Amino acid sequence: MNPAAIDIKSVRVAREFKHEAQLFRARFSPCGKYFAAVGVDALVHVWNIETGDLKSFKGHKTWISSMAFGASSNSLYTADYQGVIHCWNYLGDANTRPRWSIASADRDNVRALAIAGNGRFLLSAGDDAVIKAWDAKNGKPVAQLPGHSECIFSLAVHPGEKHLVSGDLFGTIRKWTIGDWKPAGKLDAATLHTRKDNFIADVGGVRSLAFSPDGKRLAAGGFRDAKSNSFCPGTPAVLVFDWGSGKRNHELRLKAKSDGPINGLRFLPDGSIVGYGEHLHSATEMAFWRPPASPPAHSLTGHSAYDLDLHPDGRRLLAPVYVSGGTSGNGAQKRHRDKYSPNATVLRIYNLFPEPAEKQAEG
Amino acid sequence: MKPETNPHACLGPEHGMSRRRVLGVLGGLAGFGSLLNPTVSRALEKKEKQVCLIWLDGGISQYESWHPLPGTRFGGPFRSIPTRTPGIHFCELMKHTARISDKISVIRNMETKDPNHSSGVPRIQRGDPIDRGVVYPYLGSAVSKLLGPADPDLPPYIWIKPGNGGFIHREAGFLGAEHGALALGDGTPPVHIHRPKGISPENDEARNALRKKINERFRSTRGASEIDAYETSYEMAERLMARKEIFDDSKLSPKDRDRYGSHPLGRHILRARQLLEAGIRFIKVNSYHWDTHGDNFNMSQRLIPQADRPFAALIEDLEERGMLDNTLVILMSEFGRTPNVNSRIGRDHWPDCWSLALAGCGIKQGAVVGKTSGDGAWVDGTGYDIGDLFHTIFSVLGIDARRERYLYKGQKLAIAHDECKPIREVMA
Repeated sequence: MNPAAIDIKSVRVAREFKHEAQLFRARFSPCGKYFAAVGVDALVHVWNIETGDLKSFKGHKTWISSMAFGASSNSLYTADYQGVIHCWNYLGDANTRPRWSIASADRDNVRALAIAGNGRFLLSAGDDAVIKAWDAKNGKPVAQLPGHSECIFSLAVHPGEKHLVSGDLFGTIRKWTIGDWKPAGKLDAATLHTRKDNFIADVGGVRSLAFSPDGKRLAAGGFRDAKSNSFCPGTPAVLVFDWGSGKRNHELRLKAKSDGPINGLRFLPDGSIVGYGEHLHSATEMAFWRPPASPPAHSLTGHSAYDLDLHPDGRRLLAPVYVSGGTSGNGAQKRHRDKYSPNATVLRIYNLFPEPAEKQAEG
Repeated sequence: MKPETNPHACLGPEHGMSRRRVLGVLGGLAGFGSLLNPTVSRALEKKEKQVCLIWLDGGISQYESWHPLPGTRFGGPFRSIPTRTPGIHFCELMKHTARISDKISVIRNMETKDPNHSSGVPRIQRGDPIDRGVVYPYLGSAVSKLLGPADPDLPPYIWIKPGNGGFIHREAGFLGAEHGALALGDGTPPVHIHRPKGISPENDEARNALRKKINERFRSTRGASEIDAYETSYEMAERLMARKEIFDDSKLSPKDRDRYGSHPLGRHILRARQLLEAGIRFIKVNSYHWDTHGDNFNMSQRLIPQADRPFAALIEDLEERGMLDNTLVILMSEFGRTPNVNSRIGRDHWPDCWSLALAGCGIKQGAVVGKTSGDGAWVDGTGYDIGDLFHTIFSVLGIDARRERYLYKGQKLAIAHDECKPIREVMA
């Protein structure tokens, strides 16, 4: 891939796919022709990017909280709040049933899935604080990795495929080896966790993890300095670690108003970092950083988004962006009863390259 | 309870009954001695009505507690689990209460008016009576006034809350400072409950006499309310000083501590149990930070079990001690939370259709009342306002809210909203 082929300052919305329910995770397929998104409607949605055709697979019985595409066999893995994992053929038709399932991958919510070992292993982690490795072909258990003391929010696999990392509520990032499944150290992201004397719950956590393409840096997203455990407002932050030394080198912030965690986080081929914020009832931004500079080098205003993925071509991004149904906010809203409806999502594909001259002329 | 010359006196027959209850020598409890605090209270012996209000400030989500609707457009991600009451389901986060659902009533069609905390909390805790230009008392102060102390040697109204304690006279409204709340910060006894070691009883008495004399002089030139509050707090401390065994935590078993939980709400509800056993008329237990506009589902996972487990333990313990028949337990907030999930994956304020729970003291066991729309967003038919709940509470406490009146500056004032009535569906 040619890093020069992208220009973060030219980022723009290229395609939009509207959906009537809130979706919290979105990923491009490895072939790049499709993307999938999941959330509150318990359906696995797969869009054909070119045609816009949508297939929705039924199988989960509750909100779907995490997903990952397999490396081969057209596999898509999805997991939910009740510990269920399904493996799908994402090229199947709308009546497709899961190839196989895991009924109890976690005590409760499977918050993160990842693929490791060049596609051989499916990793899951969530509320019970134990990472599990499964055979990606059939869902058979391979290994369990206890060690975290609180729920795990995020997983990422090092590009060298020898290590994985997991991030928990307390801001602990644990390193593990892939294959022999041993602990390999810790990184300190406790900044992303807040518990004050007057709180009645811990707030924050390592909500997202991403490796740089060269494997030399690890970024951890979340929010710091939460002011309460009710609104859970805090300062969104990305911590950037040197993978070799484990030293935290940078802390990146958003420029626009934003009070929630950074759940969507990716490195771009040119080494810059992109993250997307959340904000209560108003817009925030997708920000692009070029460390060591802490403020964004560029940003794009938009409503909250909960995930971010980079297309296999390295030139496009995907985000599930919040859309208000128009009746959000505090009741009493009896007068709006007839039009009170759930909030929704727009799946946005962003191009990271300048619009061709002929397109600009058309525009 | 003050004599009839009190300008705030009640006019109804219940008032006289109340005083007789306080002074009377009615039959004793038998058969529960082994479970009760060794200093079994006069209130229990006389089967006085008592109240424990557990207040989850900010608003517990009905979807994540009493009215789960998974699979509907506004339902959350958590499982709906069967309860001991056939056909009734609670959210999985209420697993302990699900086990004792046959001992409580749940109202799922509360429909109130105020979507804001600042105005909603006082409005709900005052019962939202018709505005007659006075500041109405909060529920605890109202019960303090209407029933008096259950034990004349103990304060009638104690408020267990996080943070600082003190005497909160403002809750009494026009009833006057004596009906305010004695607040126990973090459930600990008032600091002046223990006489300093260097002061002899005689010197302490002289010190108090001097304080009263100075207060009287101050009162002659200033408004009475602040002095009343100050004096009342000392009187209550004096009364508690004589009963400080109430706060003796060494009598609590490790099993009890575990059943209620080590978090503040669990410890505070366990303290409430101790105080109910001791004979306090009305106890309010506050927990703050339930206003989950952000991260509602992660927070609900962590917050709701903090209410579920000690609430269930309290109901079980009161029943085991033979106290539930005379003790009303209320678990509620100022409103529920929105059906819609907002941009921070939170739920906002929702007074339009929400739930609460009641138990004991003539409340029906195993009842779940209130029809809602299929998605839980709206009440189907007529909802219950907070005035209806106040009529219900007063009714099960033996107070006829249709007849009982406060007397304030010559004005007769209804004790609950004139146009509301008791919720018979939850009354045994």
